[in-house]
Amino acid sequence: MHTDSLTIGGRTLTSRFFIGTGLFPNPYVQKEAIKASGAEVLTFAIRRINLASTEDDSILQHLEGENYVYLPNTSGARNADEAVRIARLARASGLSDWIKVEISVNERTLLPDPIETLKATEQLVKEGFTVLPYTSDDPVICKRLEEAGAAAVMPGAAPIGTGLGILNPYNLGLIVEEAGVPIIVDAGLGSASDVTQAMELGVSGVLMNTPVAKAKDPVRMARAMSLAIEAGRLSYLAGRIGKKRYASASSGLDAFKLK
Amino acid sequence: MELVINGEKQHLELVGTIQDVIEKLGLTGKPVVAEADGKVLTAELWTETSVYPGMKIELVHFVGGG
Repeated sequence: MHTDSLTIGGRTLTSRFFIGTGLFPNPYVQKEAIKASGAEVLTFAIRRINLASTEDDSILQHLEGENYVYLPNTSGARNADEAVRIARLARASGLSDWIKVEISVNERTLLPDPIETLKATEQLVKEGFTVLPYTSDDPVICKRLEEAGAAAVMPGAAPIGTGLGILNPYNLGLIVEEAGVPIIVDAGLGSASDVTQAMELGVSGVLMNTPVAKAKDPVRMARAMSLAIEAGRLSYLAGRIGKKRYASASSGLDAFKLK
Repeated sequence: MELVINGEKQHLELVGTIQDVIEKLGLTGKPVVAEADGKVLTAELWTETSVYPGMKIELVHFVGGG
């Protein structure tokens, strides 16, 4: 597996797991889960500092000393302009020029607005960001984002945090078939079987937060997801058998059966 | 001086630059990003960016997210 690496924005990754940093029960569990996941790419959000209690410790202080790729998101943005603004703020931190474009307008579904996402992607690519847009599982919009210069395209499996798994495996398969950049499934996965299915469809990686952070045992789930990624990837590369309607014996010709 | 920081009026004494504001708020050395009047300011620009009464300043940081 050591040669089966993934390169995004000039950075070669050995893990296909992108992990989110929200919702963990505490910083210790978070750190252990990240370790167990083997992930190299960590996602974050950008928020206003609470001036009433500046003692609030930053999430970053628990992760110091490791060689992670930081992937800040533009969550909270409702249109392209807001996403671009958040992206610029994120880059000014000096920590990363990667940005996950995330633009949601519907509070109930948090589904991405693909039109605003495309606009923001075009602008941020112009400004030199490594852009990873989170978008709908639509093959046309995914291709458009690639053409706009996205370093990877991240279609959702299902709405954020639902754990519903891959609602449209047919679309996801088409997206992968047509893609010229890595496809990362982002959002909606629930368990290891969902992850394996995604990898078997040929995606380059998965981004998860809730299914790990909110599992009863996040550290164990991080490991399970990591193994599922590996299993699914190997299965994809190995090439599964075709599906048949009727049985075919595993032990050879009828002529040699005992009678 | 009265400033509008993160959408709220804040009265800070003896502040001339963004750097002073960061210090007054006890944020020195923390991974903070500043924006003043809609312009993003990398840390190098804090000492050379003057503040004036009513200036709109945003101070943000990374938090957990997916």
